[in-house]
Amino acid sequence: MPSSKITTLSELKDYLYLAMQLEHATLPAYLTALYSIKPGTNTDAVHILRVVAVEEMLHLSIAANLLNAIGGTPDLAHPGFVPSYPTYLPDGETDFKVGITRFGKEAVETFKKIERPSKGDGRLVRRSYAPGTSVLGRHPKSDEMHFYSIGDFYKAIEDGFELLEAEAQGLGKTIFIGDPKRQVTSEYYYSGGGALFAVTDLESAKRAITLVMTQGEGTPTSIYDNDGELSHFYRFDQLTHGRYYQKGDEPHHPTGPALSVDWEASYPIEANVKLADFPAGTELYDAAQSFNQAYAKFLKAITRAFNGKPELLLTAVPLMFDFRNLITELVRNPLPGSAGRNAAPTFEIDAVTAAESLAAARQEVVA
Amino acid sequence: MSAAKTGDASRLDQFLAFSAEVTAFGVVELQGTGQAEAYLQTVDDVVGAALVDELLVLHAKAPRATGNEGRAARGAHLRRTIFGDGKLGPVARNIVKLWYSGVWYELPGAWTETYGPAPQDVTFVVSPSSYVEGLLWTAIGAHPAGAKAPGYGSWAAPPRIPRFADDPVSPPSAEPVDGTVDAERVPA
Repeated sequence: MPSSKITTLSELKDYLYLAMQLEHATLPAYLTALYSIKPGTNTDAVHILRVVAVEEMLHLSIAANLLNAIGGTPDLAHPGFVPSYPTYLPDGETDFKVGITRFGKEAVETFKKIERPSKGDGRLVRRSYAPGTSVLGRHPKSDEMHFYSIGDFYKAIEDGFELLEAEAQGLGKTIFIGDPKRQVTSEYYYSGGGALFAVTDLESAKRAITLVMTQGEGTPTSIYDNDGELSHFYRFDQLTHGRYYQKGDEPHHPTGPALSVDWEASYPIEANVKLADFPAGTELYDAAQSFNQAYAKFLKAITRAFNGKPELLLTAVPLMFDFRNLITELVRNPLPGSAGRNAAPTFEIDAVTAAESLAAARQEVVA
Repeated sequence: MSAAKTGDASRLDQFLAFSAEVTAFGVVELQGTGQAEAYLQTVDDVVGAALVDELLVLHAKAPRATGNEGRAARGAHLRRTIFGDGKLGPVARNIVKLWYSGVWYELPGAWTETYGPAPQDVTFVVSPSSYVEGLLWTAIGAHPAGAKAPGYGSWAAPPRIPRFADDPVSPPSAEPVDGTVDAERVPA
């Protein structure tokens, strides 16, 4: 039976790849909800979703820095990197589904679950899923074993760093053998909260893991993270309460200025829609396909950035605005045969990557 | 045909079909602006739903375009029955301008004298989002000033002009101006 203890460098790399996958997997859900909001409405919710999405991209970059620090190779274009939605996330005794849905009460409740990873000691549990189900936070060597919570998952990673570096130090070596030039730092990344720093030793690795954890859930004693930023869970909780938190507030009792949410002011998109749900050969099908292609291009660009060309992160920015425009176009279009629901991005990226490799292979044969 | 409300899906579909043909954008792109209902409502409010219905019915009845000849015949038909018509022509042209700029332009004085009064017929921006969603920005490969920011550094790339339905397969495109000369494009 697989253990949650990480004992080899190759295992640690596998875990960090899964951490990147996990951090990325929230983005399609957050961005779709964000862009489903009707223009001119829900300005508070737009701001909150935007800040959280930007910080999730920061977490993704931090996970890439951790992987690069120990000589790994981040690959966001790897088949299966983008899960099939809805995907499962562990959350203590129960698990829950994260899907691609419109902004609304249900979506905000799911987002709060995503950002509420309980503190863990690295515990694994056995969970059975139907074959082909997409699950995040699993053991890299076993489809059946899952971490009790995301907190447990990161605890296992932190313990792995400590153990392996102590072993290496005992032999007069280090596990931090990655090329420092592959580290992505703040000069290539603008974020509202939390700086992006290089991971070069155990101290910076632990600091990076702590930053990811506390930006989501806060510190054990505060709803704010170590930089004094409200954590993601409580940012979303403000929407539930219709009120902002301010310094000194207790959890679930915000006392700051009121905010207003219009839960109905989002386009009624079909949840977790797939390309197969679009009538083939139509303009709308092409639009959904174009989005997947644009998103695949974005993932390739940041993969290159995380593989020794951090300056390319800047060129990925306009790509993000491209796919934003494609999402807003999709969510405003009625989806035929869906009883009044609208289209949405499908995030089926593997199909695009596979089709492109096939086309490239054919090109080579012809040449 | 009755003067149905804006909420009538088939009427909106007819408005979109007409708009797609006269703007050279696709129905998905038009719906993607989120402005279709607001624009149809605008035209209804200014010139009356009955006149809009008249225009949409004529458009729906135009001969189908098959092949080059068919397209030419359809174009001539639309010019004669709609764009050349004293009453419908100015309204049809205004619908094109509405989609491109998000602005309703006051109709010519002669139109109002003959077919008016139209008390709401003044030049106005339909809504803040209609300015942002104007097709002209996409058509010129730009973005509306102050909205839809294309991202830091995007100005280093050449504008991307979309291809329209009747464009030649290889249009004289916006290739990066990098000092190289494409031999095929140099006049002999």
